[in-house]
Amino acid sequence: MGVKEKKSKQANSNQQQHQNGHFSPFKFAKLVDPDASWDKDQLGDVLHWIRQIVALLCGLIWGAIPLIGGIWFVIFLVISSAIIYGYYAMLLKVDEEDFGGHGALLQEGLFASITLFLLAWTLVYSLGHF
Amino acid sequence: MASNVFTQFKYSDSLTVVGISICTAIVCEAISWLLIYRTNSYKSLKSTIDKASKKLETMKTDPTAPKISAKKSKTKKIDRVETSLKESSRDLSLFKFKSGAVVALVLFAVFGFLNNLFEGKAVAKLPFVPIKLVQKMSHRGLQGEDFTDCSMAFLYFLCSISIRTNLQKFLGFSPPRGAAGAGLFPMPDPKTN
Repeated sequence: MGVKEKKSKQANSNQQQHQNGHFSPFKFAKLVDPDASWDKDQLGDVLHWIRQIVALLCGLIWGAIPLIGGIWFVIFLVISSAIIYGYYAMLLKVDEEDFGGHGALLQEGLFASITLFLLAWTLVYSLGHF
Repeated sequence: MASNVFTQFKYSDSLTVVGISICTAIVCEAISWLLIYRTNSYKSLKSTIDKASKKLETMKTDPTAPKISAKKSKTKKIDRVETSLKESSRDLSLFKFKSGAVVALVLFAVFGFLNNLFEGKAVAKLPFVPIKLVQKMSHRGLQGEDFTDCSMAFLYFLCSISIRTNLQKFLGFSPPRGAAGAGLFPMPDPKTN
């Protein structure tokens, strides 16, 4: 365990070095500040993690209720994309052309979030209802 | 064994699969860290790519630069940065190849092990009927016509993609965005022309 901790610590410090420390004074307030300036990596990371959280939450809720049928997968995709779109276009009001267009921003973390959602949904459903 | 603790669940095998994939993902990242990420050549390569892609971006979006290439020197400069970026990206993917091979071997061995353990057994129940293309994987090796039965292969696939991607992201091991085009699945960039 000690070794792992050491490793992750080292990885974190590496990351901070790579990003020239502009991630370290990272403030939570920036996440909802429309005037903050974003670079592509930061915005991509934030969008990635929002997608993963939404996917995990939706998966757990869908599985616990349980919601059954392919339509709920589509509904998850719509909700998740709507949250992402609402976040960067309405809350942050970034110009999507600076970041490679709507496609690039909406694609961020999409595949990982789909698999995470399916995993959480299937697991909770299988374990909780049989 | 974890499955003994959770025997009250009908699909307790799914937890075993998830647990094993989490361990595999951690082992794979540890291997990659040993072979790549801690080396100095990787670090310098990565910072080169980061710098070059940022430079390219500022050059392209510079408002003072005319859109139509009236200034030849500007386009020449962009071309040069682009070529060096492509070269560094290629170096990076070559660099990743050797650890990729080891990781693939580990993943393959774990898959074989799980295959022996859960062959022909439904490890989970899908809450939806997958499309035909996915059915091949989700119903792989299973008897019967109930397509909501989920085989180990599909669950393992879901685990390995979601856990590994997020673990890499969390540890800061994901490939730099500037090098995205040099991955296994090169994406066409409409802006290069």
